[in-house]
Amino acid sequence: MSHQLTRIVRGLSATGIRCLSTTAAQSGHANFKIHIPTFVKATISKHKIDYDLEARKDPDMETIDSETQAVQLQIPTTGTDASCLTGVPEEHIVSRKVRIFRPAKNAMQSGNQNTKLWKIEFDTMERWENPTMGWGSNADPLSNISMAMSFKTKEDAMAFVERQGWSCYVDEAKEKQMQPKSYGANFSWNKRTRRAMK
Amino acid sequence: MLRIATQKCCDQLPSRFLPFLSTKSGAAVATRRHQSTDDKVEVFVNDKPVYVKPGSTVLQACEIAGIQIPRFCYHDRLSVAGNCRMCLVEIEKSPKPQASCAMPVMKGMRIKPDSDVSKKAREGVMEFLLANHPLDCPICDQGGECDLQDQSMMFGSDRSRFLEHKRAVEDKNIGPLIKTIMTRCIQCTRCVRFADEVAGVSDLGTTGRGNDMQIGTYVEKMFKSEMSGNVIDICPVGALTSKPYAFTARPWETRKTETVDVMDAVGSNIVVSTRAGDVLRIIPRLHEDINEEWISDKTRFAYDGLKRQRLTQPMLRNKQGQLVTCLWEDALPFVAEKLSTTEGSKVAGIVGGFADAESLICLKDLLNHVDSEGLCTEELFITDGAGTDLRSNYLLNTTIAGVEEADLVLLIGTNPRFEAPLFNARLRKSWIHNELEVALVGSKVDLTYSYEHLGDSTTTLKQIADGTHPFSKRLKDAKNPMVVVGSEVFSREDAFGVHAAVSAIAQNATVTSQTNRGDGGADWKVLNILHKVASQVAALDLGYKPGVDHIRKNPPSLLFILGADGGAVTREDLPKDCCVVYIGSHGDVSAPFADVILPGAAYTEKPGTYVNTEGRAQQTQAAVSPPGSAREDWKIIRALSEISGMTLPYDDLEGVRSRMSEVSPNLTRYDAVESANYFKQAAELAKLAKPQLVSKPLQSSQLSLADFYMTDSISRASKTMAKCVKAANEGLTPDL
Repeated sequence: MSHQLTRIVRGLSATGIRCLSTTAAQSGHANFKIHIPTFVKATISKHKIDYDLEARKDPDMETIDSETQAVQLQIPTTGTDASCLTGVPEEHIVSRKVRIFRPAKNAMQSGNQNTKLWKIEFDTMERWENPTMGWGSNADPLSNISMAMSFKTKEDAMAFVERQGWSCYVDEAKEKQMQPKSYGANFSWNKRTRRAMK
Repeated sequence: MLRIATQKCCDQLPSRFLPFLSTKSGAAVATRRHQSTDDKVEVFVNDKPVYVKPGSTVLQACEIAGIQIPRFCYHDRLSVAGNCRMCLVEIEKSPKPQASCAMPVMKGMRIKPDSDVSKKAREGVMEFLLANHPLDCPICDQGGECDLQDQSMMFGSDRSRFLEHKRAVEDKNIGPLIKTIMTRCIQCTRCVRFADEVAGVSDLGTTGRGNDMQIGTYVEKMFKSEMSGNVIDICPVGALTSKPYAFTARPWETRKTETVDVMDAVGSNIVVSTRAGDVLRIIPRLHEDINEEWISDKTRFAYDGLKRQRLTQPMLRNKQGQLVTCLWEDALPFVAEKLSTTEGSKVAGIVGGFADAESLICLKDLLNHVDSEGLCTEELFITDGAGTDLRSNYLLNTTIAGVEEADLVLLIGTNPRFEAPLFNARLRKSWIHNELEVALVGSKVDLTYSYEHLGDSTTTLKQIADGTHPFSKRLKDAKNPMVVVGSEVFSREDAFGVHAAVSAIAQNATVTSQTNRGDGGADWKVLNILHKVASQVAALDLGYKPGVDHIRKNPPSLLFILGADGGAVTREDLPKDCCVVYIGSHGDVSAPFADVILPGAAYTEKPGTYVNTEGRAQQTQAAVSPPGSAREDWKIIRALSEISGMTLPYDDLEGVRSRMSEVSPNLTRYDAVESANYFKQAAELAKLAKPQLVSKPLQSSQLSLADFYMTDSISRASKTMAKCVKAANEGLTPDL
């Protein structure tokens, strides 16, 4: 039972479904019970996602992108609705919309490494200052999703969002245009680009 | 013969030998060989071939290859200074590492940005920079988003060989917005170049040399620019930081919401940093077609106005004539009862500059449902001629990015520097790089670039339209002319006359520019209206009447004011028994005379659609939730409709937006400029209505920097903006 459970949990988490924490499944508590409905098993075997730890190390399943250093998990992209398994309350699935975007470069910094991957985020729900420590609190279980997940392409993000049963829209990334640059322009004698002093 | 021989030889040789073939024919070969790749030059970055435009720099070639070279002084939108030396790279066959930001590419160049020589060069530069940089990162506001911090993690040494005293520099006071800690300065001169080139205010400069070099204003004075805050962003260290944001937060504690600004009609893209329901700061977000990487000071610093003067509870006026707080359950039925008992023709609505398209459509649908047509915008426009029927009549048709293709701009009755600072920055950019010529009919103001002042009389306009003015000749010779008229002229009694004259000028220029370009196409648009408020284009798209004339002529018994705080209608203009319902975020000009106050959300608190002056629809995101009992404006109106028994047929954002696109499809095509046309027809319709001009001079209301800061309910509530006005008027005092 424990082995089967571990496999299922890993399989589910590989598709981005957090049905149980992996540690709970590994520890294999005797009094830890999980009811796995038949249709879940069917879904898992149908879409061949019941690979285990060894399979995750398989180079075909997991690749590291040389440019972004992002770990890419090759997930079968069959359009299955996984929302019945995620445990996300229905009000979050039905009423909210996901924004798919690539983060803008921080205007305060020169670096652009954080602008290369696609992220997903939900609309902001109410936040407040927690009276005990003064930290920010909120009641939104999905508020940190943009920190937790990145996607190589917007299509990957859309496929994921679709499987979760969320509705989404894509904010196209704003690309920087390369400006022509010339050190000589500082000294051109008849152009307004001339710089008299520094 | 030689030519052919070289070419053959080139084809056979590996391209790394090509630099030796520096004959004329070699260049010819170079161009011919790479015709297939759009006349680009082949260079090698880490032995990987990349094709770049001739004249690009080595740094740009590396960027195309996906390698970012570390830099301090280089900035994409400023001139090349080449003084920080951080971008040194090894180039094969070159005896020393080269400053890649200033070095143009040559064909076959082999650049080695990751080699040991490059790395050692950067380590050397970093050691010198850190020799004089204070170790105050724990108390520095730049901490966590500091280029020097980031790059010292890569190239900094873990110990110091420096035994002397560190340099210390006196801090400068350059105004209420920018805090300076000049000891941290690494003399990259980005701020000096920004002030000179982008802001066009040469207030900053360097004094002294070597170890004594300092950045500053020389004599203590305010950095008098409407875009001064951008030097905080471009400063790679913590020498220039934000005064209002000082010691407030660390970047890793805050959440960033990518949204859109509504303080002017440009629609700058911004990032709002928040923590636990508080807006902490606003910084720009890249959008090449709108604001590039800059924002104006009002956009950046007016956010403290979002926490002051806020309406947080619904209010009702009691029998003693005082406004007292109540519950939504009291306020909404009260208004609903008024709405269902008042005759439709006696119901009216005025919308202000911050209204989003969602609340605009809800209010319009609700009032139309009770047979009211009294829906007006506070901001004025013309109604004669084609009026607002043709969209091209009220848009900045050339677009903001289109300025870079223009060769002649005629500004009429506007001061773009304060009405739309980012548009003016675009004009200045084009003035520097494309030799753009600018002329102005209106108040003589400092636009930060040279322009020809044609006076402020309407006769000049008439003469230009007739072709009798000397300027007409230049307009006739221009290939890509632009005529920009400011929205302030529409408050004149002869607004229609001015608009008609401008349309005629633009129409003539359209025809001549087509001939001059020789393309015969009609894709270059000449006529431009520069709006001042964010809601106007969406309101006109949805069919609101511009101006409050309708309300003056038909005194209402029930008036909805949707955030209109420009003072277009006062209590004196209304009948005594008129019930005024104010829906909005701030207790500013209009809320005090309202009978019912329904607290709404500000632009950082709601997902809303705004259309900028080009006609580009953009959406804001909610960064925080509205304070107290305040709610999103469209939801208030939707709730009101249900209570009054006239339920609007949509109850979520998607529903509202699909209704918006029924009325005007461009409103939900986000980030797309839906261009408009029928200029010729509009100009002809204008002629039919017999426009008149009066001799009153064309003037702007915002003449000096002090007039820029406080123009709407949010910036009027902002303490920072008040300090700016004080500093601009009276000069610096130690408390600013």
